[in-house]
Amino acid sequence: MKRPLLNRSGTNWRSPAILHRINLFPLVEKPMKAFQVLALASLLLLNVSTLWAASPNSNQLSDVRVRQAIAYAIDMDTIVETLFEGMAIAADSSIPNGSFKAPGLPRYTYDPDKARQLLKEANWDSSRVLDVVYYYGDQTTADLMAAIQAYLADVGIQMTFRKLEGDVGAQLRTLPSDPVNGPAAITWDLGYGAKAALALQEYYNNYETGKNANTPGSPELDRLVSAINSTADVEKQRQAFFAIERYEMENLFVLPLYYQQMFIYESKRLNRNGGLYGNAQYNYDWNIVDWTVTPDANGKQVLRTNTGPVEFFEHAWFNPGLYIYTKVLFDRLITADGSLAPSNPQMAKYYNLSDDGKTLTIQLMDGLTWHDGTPITAEEIKWNVEFASKVPVIHPIFKQTFSSLKGAQAFADGSASGISGITTSGNTLTFSFETLDPNVLLTFSQWAPLPRKHLGNADPLKFQQHSFWQNPVGSGPFRVKEVQMNDYLVMVPFENYHGGRAKLDEIVAYPSGDNDPNVVKNAAAQQLDYGFTKNVSDVQSLKAMDHMRVTPVDIPYTRVLWINKFPKQ
Amino acid sequence: MSAYFIRRLLLLAPMLLVISFFIYLAIELTPGDIVSYMISPELIADFSPEELAAMRQALGLDEPFLIRYLHWLGGVLQGDFGYSLASGVPISDIVLDRLPATLELSAVALFFSTLFGCVLGTFSALKRGSATDNALTVFGMLGVSIPEFIFGLAALVLFALELGWLPVGGRLMPGYETLGDRLPHLVLPGLVLSLTMTAGVMRYSRSSMLDAMNREFIKTARSKGLPEWRVNFLHGFRVALTPVIVLIGFRLPLLIGGTVIVEQVFQWPGVGEQFVVAVRAQNYPLIMMIAFLSVTAVLLASFLIDLLTALLDPRVQLD
Repeated sequence: MKRPLLNRSGTNWRSPAILHRINLFPLVEKPMKAFQVLALASLLLLNVSTLWAASPNSNQLSDVRVRQAIAYAIDMDTIVETLFEGMAIAADSSIPNGSFKAPGLPRYTYDPDKARQLLKEANWDSSRVLDVVYYYGDQTTADLMAAIQAYLADVGIQMTFRKLEGDVGAQLRTLPSDPVNGPAAITWDLGYGAKAALALQEYYNNYETGKNANTPGSPELDRLVSAINSTADVEKQRQAFFAIERYEMENLFVLPLYYQQMFIYESKRLNRNGGLYGNAQYNYDWNIVDWTVTPDANGKQVLRTNTGPVEFFEHAWFNPGLYIYTKVLFDRLITADGSLAPSNPQMAKYYNLSDDGKTLTIQLMDGLTWHDGTPITAEEIKWNVEFASKVPVIHPIFKQTFSSLKGAQAFADGSASGISGITTSGNTLTFSFETLDPNVLLTFSQWAPLPRKHLGNADPLKFQQHSFWQNPVGSGPFRVKEVQMNDYLVMVPFENYHGGRAKLDEIVAYPSGDNDPNVVKNAAAQQLDYGFTKNVSDVQSLKAMDHMRVTPVDIPYTRVLWINKFPKQ
Repeated sequence: MSAYFIRRLLLLAPMLLVISFFIYLAIELTPGDIVSYMISPELIADFSPEELAAMRQALGLDEPFLIRYLHWLGGVLQGDFGYSLASGVPISDIVLDRLPATLELSAVALFFSTLFGCVLGTFSALKRGSATDNALTVFGMLGVSIPEFIFGLAALVLFALELGWLPVGGRLMPGYETLGDRLPHLVLPGLVLSLTMTAGVMRYSRSSMLDAMNREFIKTARSKGLPEWRVNFLHGFRVALTPVIVLIGFRLPLLIGGTVIVEQVFQWPGVGEQFVVAVRAQNYPLIMMIAFLSVTAVLLASFLIDLLTALLDPRVQLD
């Protein structure tokens, strides 16, 4: 239960005896001396930065000891085993487990004694009542809040919790006018939320100075955030992530709680015929063209699923794979594997990213058409990128890629009629980037080009409100056959699909989301052949059905406690 | 009497105006807007205040409250109810698309609840104190006290999931063309709504019938040697009907938006379900339209009740 107090090396950075301890570092072997001097210098550097980050302002939550006490006070392992019935993983950084997880990160395993000790050292004001906010409406979240309340009470921290209503974004994210000294423009102390990342950089990019509502800007954090964004070299990126993860867990500027899994449920009628399982919230090469289901009485293979449209088809540039229709109606230039690593061409015949990561060449396949038979051209893809760069509600990863193109700024401010960094020659597109974007291939594996013929007159600010999104025309393996808003959507194979005609005869999508109480009911009534959910109570019910199977998938989805470290107004 | 009705009709317009203003004000006072609904809290940090402001401006949300209300009102007076902020679809199209589903469900429930409520309530009153009366009284109490969604879930589990006789929800399926195709989908929500509404009508008609049967004119009718069925139905029932009609009249607005819970339980794509979606999204033009229709229905129902009461009860002098 007793664990080293602060960091991996076991050094208590905040102790007044720190320098004394470093002086006692055993310098015994001469050949080791150079290394030890370097180590000492590194330790001092890290120490200074950590002390800087921990410097408390009038808000006691700015004291790293208080944040660590909160981490020690919450028994996430027990919460995962009981509340989440083992269907989550206690987190030890924002980054999910995998090759980008730094080795040997400090873990704040449940230790209430340590928490009490840290609070005592920090002179915690036990009369203070923390205001904890969240925005999920499910019972599990309310139960989790109650559990955290009890754990914190046990070590002497009082809290109340409340669900945010109305303009949740503004209540959570309003930035302070002074991004370093505050005071905070938000009112809460702890916020419970999540990050469903498409790219790992998303976990940290908002912690740059001036971009975060709860964390004061810091040059060290800015440097670490910059490092994860400034290279396309995977190994260098990995090392940069390791560094920021260590900083994160030593300073706890955010408190990662657990990694949420996704559960793909399927009826036993469905056969993927070797299609991969992966992060179903986004697009990957799941080979739906080869999927089959047991034919019905009429001999038709009809796949029944959810996430059909209620009032409109959500446009494909914000949640690129959350709905079945955005996955199957639209093709991407590149495809990705189950972990969303860009892997193969899709609409492209060929693609190449230069060694410096600043030039991407894509050659389109010959003979590509939209579902209405209109040819797809490289010039049209160029128009798509230019149009997308003016649409405000697009995925931030796409936005970053498009704004990194040469001439993007001039196009945005109206001084140029197009983005100069995109050139076309026949079926070939060349994208030249002003600044390196580490996720350029990821963007083109998720972002779907759309037909200019139908959207040429669209207002970028009212993109979602365009009539196209009542009955969209795409380029993917299925096309819309019939849509009855809020009743059903029928999609049938696109005969001229470049990957061949899909084996399913129809996909029927009913309007029920991934966290909808109707999921279990519809599955029990054998009305669902495919879907995914993150709701653990639904998973238990689905698992109990003989005709269903459930496959867990690890996804980058981390639930965290944001900690407001700015002085309060 | 005609002067009274003309006066009532003329009063409808200012009442609607005042009510519409207060509904609009209530929406205005609710925190958040469609932009905050469209962008999840997990992603909103990636949007600059300028981008959010541009979106609000494009949707006309940046104008002062009164200006927006007057724009909306001006549109309504010209027959233009505006566009859904979420989808850009004309509001009138959305409502006209959903209205048939709600009318279908509520008309079925209104018809059966009125029929069975009146028949069973009258029967219960005429058999006062019998085992049947006691059983119907228990049924009535259960019906009025158990929430609709409990009935709905129980019916779903029993008839759809356990017995598999009826579909679990929805209204239309691919390939449906006639009313007969979709009738099985109507049975469960119609039954649940009818059951809860029947209980209320039954309790009301029973007490009303008991009250009527104790009146002097019933004794007079009997003393004149009229057959019992004639006394019961032509004299007792007619008088007992008046308060029941008031109750039924007040249920007419159900035809527009009173089936929210049942629509939610059975995924019935009606106006009620749309209203819930619109409120969650702060889609004010749609909220206004549905609320406006509901209010109009209430006012018209009230008007109709006055008319029917006067027709049924000669003692009522509206002038």
